Amino acid sequence: MIEPSTSSTNGLEEPATVIAGLVAEFRTPDALKAAATKVRDAGYRLWDAHSPFPIHGMERAMGIRPTILPWLVFCAGLTGAAAALLLQWWTNTIDYPFLVSGKPFFSLPANIPIIFELMVLLSAFAAFGGVLVLNLLPEYRHPAFSVKRFARVTSDGFFISIAASDPKFDLSATRALLESAGAVAVDVCYAPAEAPRLPGVLKWGLVVAALLALIPPLWIARQRQIPSDVPRLHIIQDMDFQPRYQAQGVGRFFADRRATRPPVPHSMAVGGRQLDAHFYQGQIDGQWATTFPIPVDRETMERGRERYNIYCAPCHGLAGEGDGMTHQRAVARREPGWVQPRSLHVSNVREQPVGRLFHTITHGLNTMSGYAAQIPVADRWAIVLYVRALQRSQNAVLDDVPTALRPALLQEPTKP
Amino acid sequence: MTSQPSVELAPQQITLEGISPRILAGLRIVGAAALVIGCALGVAWPDGIPLFFRAYLTSFCYVLGMVLGSLLLVLLLHVSRAGWGVVVRRLAEVLAGHVPLMVILFLPIVLPLLWGSSSLYEWADRHAVEHDELLRHKAPYLNPVFFTIRAAGYFLVWWLVARFFLETSAEQDSTGDPRLTNRMERASGPAILLLGLTVTFASFDWLMSLDARWTSTIYGVYYYSGAFVGAVALWILLAMGLQASGRLKEVITVEHYHDLGKLLFAAVVFWAYIAFSQYLLIWYANIPEETTWYRDRQTGAWLYVSLALVVGHLVLPFFGLLSREAKRNKAILGFWAAWLLVFHWIDVSWLAMPGLKREGSPWGPIDLCLTVSLVCFYLASVLRRAVERPLVPLRDPRLAESLAFENF
Amino acid sequence: MSSVAFPAFDNTSDDPTVRAPLTTPGQNFQTITETVCRVVERPRPPLGWYIAFAIAVAWTGVFFLLVVYLVSTGIGVWGNNVPVAWAFDIVNFVFWIGIGHAGTLISAILFLFRQKWRTSINRAAEAMTIFAVICAGLFPALHVGRVWVEYWLFPYPNQMGMWPNFRSPLVWDVVAVSTYGTVSLLFWYLGMIPDLATLRDRATGTVRKLLYGLFALGWRGSARQWHRYERAYLLLAALSTPLVLSVHSVVSTDFAVAQLPGWHVTLFPPYFVAGAIFSGFAMVVTLMVPARAFFGLKDLITIRHLENMNKFILATGCMVGYAYALEVFASWYSGNQYEWFAMVNRAVGPYAWCYWTMVFCNVVVPQLFWFKSWRTSPWRMVLVAVLVNVGMWMERFVIIVVSLSRDFLPSSWEIYKPTWVDLGMLAGSFGLFFTLFLLFCRYLPMVAMAEVKAVLPAAHGSGHRH
Repeated sequence: MIEPSTSSTNGLEEPATVIAGLVAEFRTPDALKAAATKVRDAGYRLWDAHSPFPIHGMERAMGIRPTILPWLVFCAGLTGAAAALLLQWWTNTIDYPFLVSGKPFFSLPANIPIIFELMVLLSAFAAFGGVLVLNLLPEYRHPAFSVKRFARVTSDGFFISIAASDPKFDLSATRALLESAGAVAVDVCYAPAEAPRLPGVLKWGLVVAALLALIPPLWIARQRQIPSDVPRLHIIQDMDFQPRYQAQGVGRFFADRRATRPPVPHSMAVGGRQLDAHFYQGQIDGQWATTFPIPVDRETMERGRERYNIYCAPCHGLAGEGDGMTHQRAVARREPGWVQPRSLHVSNVREQPVGRLFHTITHGLNTMSGYAAQIPVADRWAIVLYVRALQRSQNAVLDDVPTALRPALLQEPTKP
Repeated sequence: MTSQPSVELAPQQITLEGISPRILAGLRIVGAAALVIGCALGVAWPDGIPLFFRAYLTSFCYVLGMVLGSLLLVLLLHVSRAGWGVVVRRLAEVLAGHVPLMVILFLPIVLPLLWGSSSLYEWADRHAVEHDELLRHKAPYLNPVFFTIRAAGYFLVWWLVARFFLETSAEQDSTGDPRLTNRMERASGPAILLLGLTVTFASFDWLMSLDARWTSTIYGVYYYSGAFVGAVALWILLAMGLQASGRLKEVITVEHYHDLGKLLFAAVVFWAYIAFSQYLLIWYANIPEETTWYRDRQTGAWLYVSLALVVGHLVLPFFGLLSREAKRNKAILGFWAAWLLVFHWIDVSWLAMPGLKREGSPWGPIDLCLTVSLVCFYLASVLRRAVERPLVPLRDPRLAESLAFENF
Repeated sequence: MSSVAFPAFDNTSDDPTVRAPLTTPGQNFQTITETVCRVVERPRPPLGWYIAFAIAVAWTGVFFLLVVYLVSTGIGVWGNNVPVAWAFDIVNFVFWIGIGHAGTLISAILFLFRQKWRTSINRAAEAMTIFAVICAGLFPALHVGRVWVEYWLFPYPNQMGMWPNFRSPLVWDVVAVSTYGTVSLLFWYLGMIPDLATLRDRATGTVRKLLYGLFALGWRGSARQWHRYERAYLLLAALSTPLVLSVHSVVSTDFAVAQLPGWHVTLFPPYFVAGAIFSGFAMVVTLMVPARAFFGLKDLITIRHLENMNKFILATGCMVGYAYALEVFASWYSGNQYEWFAMVNRAVGPYAWCYWTMVFCNVVVPQLFWFKSWRTSPWRMVLVAVLVNVGMWMERFVIIVVSLSRDFLPSSWEIYKPTWVDLGMLAGSFGLFFTLFLLFCRYLPMVAMAEVKAVLPAAHGSGHRH
């Protein structure tokens, strides 16, 4: 890898190679620095000094201009910071906003750590990549390595190399310059006449391999996009298939092969002993009850009003006209197929026995669902009581008003 | 190592001799006049007494930060056996040794407290303490007597530390004994430890207890990191000022400024790191008893001060000092040092003032007068001390190394 | 060799008139190359290496077997419970990531502070950083349970239409630790390129020539390349310095942004960083004392290097002690009964022995380093360093487990007990760490040759070698 392909290490000229330049060795860092100053002053441009470690002051001796690397890193850092800010803002605020512990979607203080890390990451990539690119590394082969003693450049050797392509290069004059600068040895280094090439088989093999390597990701990408009847591949099962029975499914354990088990005979659910049919079903001897199983008093009425306003008024309206907020909204949005909730004041509702109303609240009717789960039994009766009061309020006659208040009612026909 | 350069320096280069006594007198007169005006304003202003005390505390802590920050600089130079900083160490020593002055300046804070005044600290109000469970809980720590005892302890430690390092350094000027350097190096470690502890608790006592219900363990580090920024900035400006007056011309080079600039840059970044740590943790946990402190600083004019701190104490100086060229350019470095001295004052004021209800502008003429006054007293003290001895530790064994110092 | 010629050499002198030499006398560029390359080039490593390697590999095997058991069974095999949902896994994570910090400190921060003595130890310390980060990263990765969807942690457009919650410290952690690992690797590799070139140029076998040649990238020590290389190295150091502070600060926010008593402490970020450096330096000392003896590196890694590291251990130990003291003070001063209970519970609760082990190892033991005899005696310093590592592991245990086990609601208190899997994985992670480190010692240059050469007196100056 390092040695030239032919055995030109002893400095013998080989037919397949050309002179690439001169390599001169110096004893000490100081001698190297002094010689570098001379070479620089002689006007060479395609030359270099080589040492096992960076020598303080060498840039000045050789006239190397400051590298642009810091600027690259600076720009990369700004890019990283901006990218991190954009990423966090867009993902957490625009594309997928969700609330966590009451923090604003766009929380600058919480975004700072990632902004900082990405700034450092991109800067580090720029510093590392930049130094390799600017130094033209990795390099497959360099002519200086054809000089055997040059191997000591990474241990304790100090060298100057001058390329043959330098306009001022002249084998004897340059050699004389290097020797006068204090070189302990000056060697000619060689390069192959032609630039080294990869064998054709290898090159095309790599191309084919690279193309083949593209197939699996492309196939996966396509499979993810197209619809398919076949279930997806479950490489990792996660919880896609769970060891449990579906409701009403087939089980293997019991002889009747039913997964869902019927209740054990004579067992009863907690709270299931609802013997009082009047209270629980609203029926007396199979007929709808017309009386209340709870005390009818002001307290129950207030309770009923409160519950009604919570559970019923959203649809039936505060006055029971069937014009609650859901209805108004549906009308405003012109919901197709919207059916207005029943007014509680139409005659067939008014005429229903209280047991029937209780049943409707418990089990629902038409599009109305049952409220047994939300409203306890006593509260349902309280609501029925309040509904009765509402119905009475909209269909009252003078006889309903206490005698003492009737004159006042008759004297005030209208309000201003 | 480089060969020994000559350590022979011309006397007029390295002393302040010949400085006009009028400067010293002028500083003292201005300081006294500003103090009188400040007092008068405090008495005349509506509700001016609490305002006066807060503003005085701000100025005091600002100047104290310079003293303690410079002291830390001296100790750090010793503990790290720094070669580069020997030429500027005496300047830090000159800035550091003013503990007696600080004791005198502390009297207006502690005497009213012992007298029974609660204009500054709510916990000194017996009535408030009786009716507040939290203050009652803290009373064994936060009470005027123990407060005074602790303050005396802090000042004693600072005085001993500063005295030891200044006297030993001065002794080396005359004897040239390299073992004195060893002695200072050995003492610097424990001294930093003592300094860290005392400054932490001093900042708890004097600044944090203004909001007696609020606690933050990082507070001491925050105050000291800010003070360090101020001290480095003042250090740079002092060096530049002396050079502008024709002194230390060949002693302090661009290489030293480069290092001072790096130190200033690092101090700014460290301050920001500490400030952000505290803010992030309190902002995120969102516990009402903690967020009140930031709410005071995010309402009214203080919101703009807080934002100004982010920009002026971090963003601008960060980019301003980032490049190598900026740190090696005296004009740019001097500008940012002065800039940061101003913003460090804003920072201290931001710590001390916001609990006070005040309409409109966060600052007024009282703040200005008291700061001018205390800074003038301090500078007078600095100059008086600077006259006493050479501006460079002439016989420090590492002086030659420092003179020849070069960045790479 | 020269190591034999100066057996009684002592460079721990404090004489301020001269700068103490960084290597033993008689070192020149050639001997440094020889000393470092010899370790890698000898046909067989010493017997001790084989024994250590066998033990380390065995424990690595245990670790990965336990990983298989854990992943296939579920993290119920750990002792974690409710409320102690974070236990050994996160303790080990914080412990290892802390260990890593010393490497970056030595290679980056001390570089910025021009501490030339760092050159002899930075390579090994950086390697240690990378191996510690690997060990650290494994634990939270396993802790999430379903390791096969680990990539969900990273932001990538997906069919679920979801993104990570970037406002969460746990996501900051992912980003910070992976950035830290990446940048440390780049820094380590960049620093190693010139030394790999040295090994390449000396290599005799084909495989070695090929591999070292491949990774040396054709480096030829050109001054123009050195110029950019030094600039890049400086930039990476300048970037790594705030990075290393940020990483453990971010780790500390995993706890400190929460409201749990004992976790919500504003001092946590700098305190965690100090603790990390503390434990990391202790680990460097633990590794370097035997390594310099076994591999004949005493000429380059001298007692002075170790003494300097011990001074750092002392300094950071004092910082950690400062934080402990402030925590206790603030828990009383805040008047918050839960905070105060958390402190009392640490000191006298069921895990009191952990707390006092921590205080003893982290605050009391390092005080021995005020004495020069302890700072300069290899085996004594190893004793202190090992105790510091024990103490720092305990510190994380105290912070995480003790705080979690007793929070606001006494009815949900629960004692945590590690299972054999917990203990095995802790030991196994050490096995993994030492396996990687031993491989590094065998195949890569343990000392940064180019950097040590650059700080030799002969490298700048008056010409005569040595």
